[in-house]
Amino acid sequence: MAVGTHDGEPATADGPPGAAGLGDLVRVAGAIRRAVESVVEGKAPAVRLALTVLLAEGHLLIEDVPGVGKTLLAKALARSVDCSVRRVQFTPDLLPSDITGVSAYDQELREFEFKPGPVFANIVVGDEINRASPKTQSALLECMEERQVTVDGTTYRLEPPFMVVATQNPVEMEGTYPLPEAQRDRFTARVSMGYPDPAAELAMLDVHGGRSPLDDLVPVADAADVRRLIEVARGTHVAPSVKRYAVDLVAATRAHPDLRLGASPRATLHLLRAARAYAALDERDYVLPDDVQDLAVPVLAHRLLPTAEARVARRRPEHVVADLVKRLPVPAPGK
Amino acid sequence: MRLRMTVVAAVATLAGSVGLYPLFTTGRWVWAALGAVLCAAGGAAAARRLGRGAPLDAAGGLLALLLYLTAVFAHGRALLWIIPTPGSVAHLVSLAGSGWDAVNRYAAPVPLVPGILMLVAAGVGLVAVLVDALAVRLRRAALAGLPLLAMYSVPAAVREESVSWLAFGAGALGFLMLLTADAREQVGGWGRAVPAARRDAGAADAADGERVQPGALAASGRRIGAAAVALAVLVPLAVPGLHPNGMLGGDDGGGGSRTVTTPDPLVSLKRELTRPDDSVVLTYRTNDAEPDYLRLYALDRFDGDRWTYDPLRSTPRDRVTGGPLPAPPGLTLAPTRTVRTRVTVRPEVRRMTFLPVPYAPARLSVDGDWRVHAESLMVYSLRDSAGGRTYTVDSLRAEPTAADLSAGGSYPADIVRRFTAYPRSVPAAIRQLAEKITARANSAYEQAVLLQRWFTAEGGFTYDLSAPAPQHGGDLTAFLLRSRHGYCEQFAASMALMARLLGIPARVAMGYTPGTLSNGVWTVRSKDAHAWPELYFQGAGWVRFEPTPAGAAGQGTAVPPIYTADTDPTSPDDTGTSRNRTDPREARDEPSRAPSHAPAHRDERLDDTGAAAGDGGTGFPAGWAALVAGLVAGLLVLLGAPMAVRALTRRRRWAAAEPPSEPRRRLRAPGGGPPRGTGPADAAHAAWRELRSDARDHGLPFRANESPRATARRLTETLELERPAREALGRIAMAEELARYARSGARVPRGALRADVRTVRAAFAAAVPRRTRWRARVLPPSALESAGRGTRAALDGATAGATDLSRAAGDALRRVARR
Repeated sequence: MAVGTHDGEPATADGPPGAAGLGDLVRVAGAIRRAVESVVEGKAPAVRLALTVLLAEGHLLIEDVPGVGKTLLAKALARSVDCSVRRVQFTPDLLPSDITGVSAYDQELREFEFKPGPVFANIVVGDEINRASPKTQSALLECMEERQVTVDGTTYRLEPPFMVVATQNPVEMEGTYPLPEAQRDRFTARVSMGYPDPAAELAMLDVHGGRSPLDDLVPVADAADVRRLIEVARGTHVAPSVKRYAVDLVAATRAHPDLRLGASPRATLHLLRAARAYAALDERDYVLPDDVQDLAVPVLAHRLLPTAEARVARRRPEHVVADLVKRLPVPAPGK
Repeated sequence: MRLRMTVVAAVATLAGSVGLYPLFTTGRWVWAALGAVLCAAGGAAAARRLGRGAPLDAAGGLLALLLYLTAVFAHGRALLWIIPTPGSVAHLVSLAGSGWDAVNRYAAPVPLVPGILMLVAAGVGLVAVLVDALAVRLRRAALAGLPLLAMYSVPAAVREESVSWLAFGAGALGFLMLLTADAREQVGGWGRAVPAARRDAGAADAADGERVQPGALAASGRRIGAAAVALAVLVPLAVPGLHPNGMLGGDDGGGGSRTVTTPDPLVSLKRELTRPDDSVVLTYRTNDAEPDYLRLYALDRFDGDRWTYDPLRSTPRDRVTGGPLPAPPGLTLAPTRTVRTRVTVRPEVRRMTFLPVPYAPARLSVDGDWRVHAESLMVYSLRDSAGGRTYTVDSLRAEPTAADLSAGGSYPADIVRRFTAYPRSVPAAIRQLAEKITARANSAYEQAVLLQRWFTAEGGFTYDLSAPAPQHGGDLTAFLLRSRHGYCEQFAASMALMARLLGIPARVAMGYTPGTLSNGVWTVRSKDAHAWPELYFQGAGWVRFEPTPAGAAGQGTAVPPIYTADTDPTSPDDTGTSRNRTDPREARDEPSRAPSHAPAHRDERLDDTGAAAGDGGTGFPAGWAALVAGLVAGLLVLLGAPMAVRALTRRRRWAAAEPPSEPRRRLRAPGGGPPRGTGPADAAHAAWRELRSDARDHGLPFRANESPRATARRLTETLELERPAREALGRIAMAEELARYARSGARVPRGALRADVRTVRAAFAAAVPRRTRWRARVLPPSALESAGRGTRAALDGATAGATDLSRAAGDALRRVARR
């Protein structure tokens, strides 16, 4: 199953450069999706969300308990695209310079030379990001938002596409630091893997029993493809009423009594950007309220801080957002 | 804000005072009351500024009121027109005294003499002071309803007539406004941000989420209040026994009108006849040597069991003023003479609200508020009793001859319609009996005479006061066909009924026989209470007949009228009836004289009975039939309305989505979506709205948080739609989705949306239980919803308008105060 699913697809990687239409996007994205799903079984929604984030030029936060395939998803996604991929294992003793890179003195040339850190890649897999100290986590802030790194006063631009796929354990687990609000806000979406259903788990035993399926994964697209797809996704139409709907939804989180901190304007931006990509993946050149609804929880929930009362009552931000989605009427023409 | 409460309290007082309008002949009092309220409220508000406690506030209001009264009513004797002096106060007091006298002298509506005007101003001003003190200073808005209620109940107590529903509504809304304002103040006192001024912050869009709750609460409060007032106005219409005459009965008298009914006049008859003491009811003097009966009631309606009268609709216009009374109906040709009767009713007589007068009263001078019913010439009062009164009545006594009566022309249609109606329950045997008795007659008059003869002589009737009062139609049948024992009530009721059966307009009159004469004074005792039939003859009007045996073996002082004495020569006997003056006039030639008129009468009668059979009976049965038919029709209309609304909505939607002509395209509102190509997008919207209505009709939820696509998916899944319906639904949803969210100029499939909607509707109908299906057809909930929405919007609009108005007034006043 894992082997050969991508066999028929290599042509997609180098399609005609000028014809980067919606069909092209769907084709390439489909190939990536299939490649990833050949490794991560039974997690179609998570895979689709990961693709969405990729096309939305966002960063993905994968949160779940250890051992459900967080890293696998990140790696599979990274590997199915033929681009530079770096992986950082976050540990409590990781330093900021371990991420961004350092200026080292070159004895021969007698000058400082910048040694780029692991962020200088198209896809950066940050594993167990919440095991590093907040200081180190913050080192990612600038890269993620501004797509540049400043070391010793020199600013280095990062090549697009640039995507951080971070995994983290739930905050309640031992030896973790909660991500700072500012950083959480920079992740476009958070996805939970969840346990696989029994059938998928059984299939996994067969596949993973022998060797890592990752080894069989060959890239089905390259960085240029991804750049092109991102352009296409950006062109998806959003009707003013849908924009308004997204704004209303985000504004509603700010007024919600269960939330200490609502979603930021950046969240609205991310929400719409993701919705564009999500619609494009559906081969649609316009965004539906359904897209916004589907993405509301992954895009918004991790940015929200529940009040103490809500926390005690176990009303989680996910539930709050889902509830708001249920209550907010979709935009419709005047009665 | 105290100032707003002050304004609202003043407005509530004014609104409550509207109910006083029926008390006065003109509306000038409104200005006096307005001034008094303004001064009282202003004085109290000014005193409040000093802040010395509630008593001082009230004192301030009272002082301002006094200054106002002085300025308006006694400025001539005041210092600087306004400062009260002992002279001006004395003048006010004397004015009040004269007003009080006037109030006692006149029945409502009273003329607005200065004294009364001053009393009104002072009274309303006092109420304003009280309301102000209670609502504004003591914060007891609910208690402030008491003085308002007191003011409101004045017309109800004095007039015994209900005030118009408009006045009631104004008063109630005023009080509601007071309560609302007070509640708003109290909530404001808790320190929470209450959206008092909705339009203050124009850019308050962001606060939407917070404002929803109190706004909705206030709106539902307003709705409840408005609904309560509407119910209070509407329920009496549906409940028998409460007569909201102001609303449906033409409010034409300038004041309220009122319905007059006496439950069952005939019931009192037997009671009076059998009184053991046989007390004197009234005495009278008259210039008539042989006085006619004194009539109280004319009972024009036979309901199958009893004779009663149609409720009288009384308006102030019917008042007896001393001038000529309405002309007696039908009395045009017969010779008349005027008799004057001066009647004194004994003071012990209670609850006699109708005046006994000889028919037909032409001019009446009597104290108190007496009114005359133009059609029957009954004289009655809404509040006064005849007991102890003395009055003079000039009556026009018709003296038709037998010839006049038999020569009477055919009857006017309205008389026939009203006075020949009888219920279908009357047994055919009575009609046959009546026809048998009158078989020899050639005219209506002869029929009447023969009927009277039959009762008094030929029929073998026995006057028997111990006979039970007839309760049901069957009792009359038994009286006529079997027992033939009875007293005047049975005789009168039977003869009037038989006359109607024969097509002669008839009614039962009730009152007193002339009584006994001694020393020029006629004395009428309770035993003289009597009932008799009155029959209508064109030219002579209503003519009395006397079927009850008179004399010792009958009704003591009953007198058969002289024009009925022309007995048929063929009848041999003339027994038993003592004072039956047989006037041996030439009756023989009557039959030969009459025939030319008889056919006319016969035709008339046949027409009547034909009509009675044809359209469900005239008069009473017709009334029931019409009522039932009306109810059924109303029910049908009610039932059909939702269906019609639904069909209309459907047609309107599709019509609006027709390929647009140029002007329509210009007019199209942009809506929430992209600037869309009008035609296809409109068709899609129309189809979608239709689909939504259809879904609601079939009880399928349509959720506001679902996009067209999601809705279609859900419906397809829950209803397990077949392929054609599924695809049709998908096409409709797709079209709507494109129209709503896609890039402008997107190709919305126009095509067969209408057919698709039909397909989906059929699929809905097939998928739901039968009951739901029928409800969707007959009582489509979507139509009911839109009606409900309309009503709600109207209610909200009205109440919001009222609130805005009061707020605007408050604002204006505040600005003035600040300056």
